Amino acid sequence: MTEFGLRLAISLTQIAAVMGIVVITVLILTLAERKVLGWMQDRMGPMEVGPYGILQPFADAIKLFFKEDIVPAGANKFLFTMAPILCLIPTFIGFAVIPWGPNWTFEIGGITVKPFIITDINIGILYILAFASISAYGIILGGWASNSKYSLLGGLRSAAQIISYELNVGLSIVGVLILAGSLSLVKITDAQAGGFWNWYLFALPAPQIFAFVVYVISVVAETNRVPFDLPEAESELVAGFFTEYSGLRFAFFFLAEYANMMLVSCVAAALFLGGWNAPYPGTILALIGLPSLAWVENIMWFAVKTYSFLFLFFWLRATLPRLRYDQLMRFGWKVMLPIALGNIVVTSIAVFVYQQMK
Amino acid sequence: MASTTTTRRLSLSEWFKTITFYEILVGMKATLSHLLNYRPVTLQYPHEKRTLPDNYRGMLALLRYDDGTEKCVGCDLCEAACPSRVIRVVSAEVPGEPTKRYSKEYYMDMTRCLFCGMCVDACPVDALGMTREFEWAVYDKRQLHLNKQQLLAIGDRSFPTREKRLELQHPNVAFFNVAFKHVPSKPD
Repeated sequence: MTEFGLRLAISLTQIAAVMGIVVITVLILTLAERKVLGWMQDRMGPMEVGPYGILQPFADAIKLFFKEDIVPAGANKFLFTMAPILCLIPTFIGFAVIPWGPNWTFEIGGITVKPFIITDINIGILYILAFASISAYGIILGGWASNSKYSLLGGLRSAAQIISYELNVGLSIVGVLILAGSLSLVKITDAQAGGFWNWYLFALPAPQIFAFVVYVISVVAETNRVPFDLPEAESELVAGFFTEYSGLRFAFFFLAEYANMMLVSCVAAALFLGGWNAPYPGTILALIGLPSLAWVENIMWFAVKTYSFLFLFFWLRATLPRLRYDQLMRFGWKVMLPIALGNIVVTSIAVFVYQQMK
Repeated sequence: MASTTTTRRLSLSEWFKTITFYEILVGMKATLSHLLNYRPVTLQYPHEKRTLPDNYRGMLALLRYDDGTEKCVGCDLCEAACPSRVIRVVSAEVPGEPTKRYSKEYYMDMTRCLFCGMCVDACPVDALGMTREFEWAVYDKRQLHLNKQQLLAIGDRSFPTREKRLELQHPNVAFFNVAFKHVPSKPD
């Protein structure tokens, strides 16, 4: 096998593994969300399929596969088909730059493989933001191509919301980028090693706590989750932009929403919570004499942070009612945006003063 | 967008609570406490069933006397009492007994029934009863258009001790029927 072929095979294996992890996590999330919501609301959640209902995601998948796929009369068939794909693919592409674990390498056929980092491009976070904004097209095209007024209203609302809150996501992470001096997620994560006081959430000279709050609120809005689930708004609009979708196309929107949740959780873990770094210096496995297995502990910490962030989504959903549309926009533009901008100014000044003092 | 909310000067503590999302955190604490002290209040319905109250108003049924004859005398009072016009009675004379009537045909459209029990109250001879059956979901609405045989069958399977049950369920009806039951029989 040529070197190129080997590299290709390794990359494809990594991509397949990450896709598998994402899809399995989405399956877990669909079940976990209903169970957690059930427990928080003093009911059981799904209980019928399998022991304690744990096979419910598979039952849902089978149901969605075999449901009739309807294209409404008068719909633009091409765009109607493209919209869910346009939502789903950018989300999956974003996972390419997530550092799942440390720079642990091994050799295979003379090639050094980093198994937990598919790519380390030096504009990693910009790449994720750029692709995340493409999914707004999927939503608005889905609403428009359905040839239904309610879908169009849902799509327009959703587009306005996603664009305005994506601005806040972008601005809220600028503070982290100033501190790290890099857009590469790997470099940002590496810079946060050595204990939780080095995480950018707490790191001196400019703790990014306000930026983190803005980021959390904005990504909740961007992934169309409660309390910002205006695109769906089942009790007000019919069902938002995917009213006319059924079967597998609807499942794609669903999958995109959950994959997007996972993506923003991974980004939050990498940017604010130290990524795969443990909240104490080094790793316990290295201390007890197993330095070659330290990556297990690091990956575990990444998973813990990501899943805690995902739990926050469920927790918020169980707690909060939906915002009104004008409240949503006012909150985004008049509260979140000034805080994010102020955070950039304060962080810049703090970093400048810190460097002058040094 | 013109804001319709009136702005009010916040006190310092209110302002502090607003910027720290205090109310939201209190709510989140409440939901988390429910997650940690998890005590479900729901029943797993097909596997667990709630104990019905004594006066539960379930599916309607026609009743018989202990010797097997139908109680219904075809008086149409249930039809008159029904607010949603569920019941249709076609009464006829008992052949050979010109003073006695019975319901030749008796239809109930249970798709419209709201289980108010007024037909049971109206019935002078306790021919109608409300059973404790409530699992009557069907795939075809026409299965809920019941005729006399079906209603009698429901009564037969749901009222093994039907007099007892009826008195338990509808004390008022039982009260009205006291006089009826104790009327001295006519001399032959």
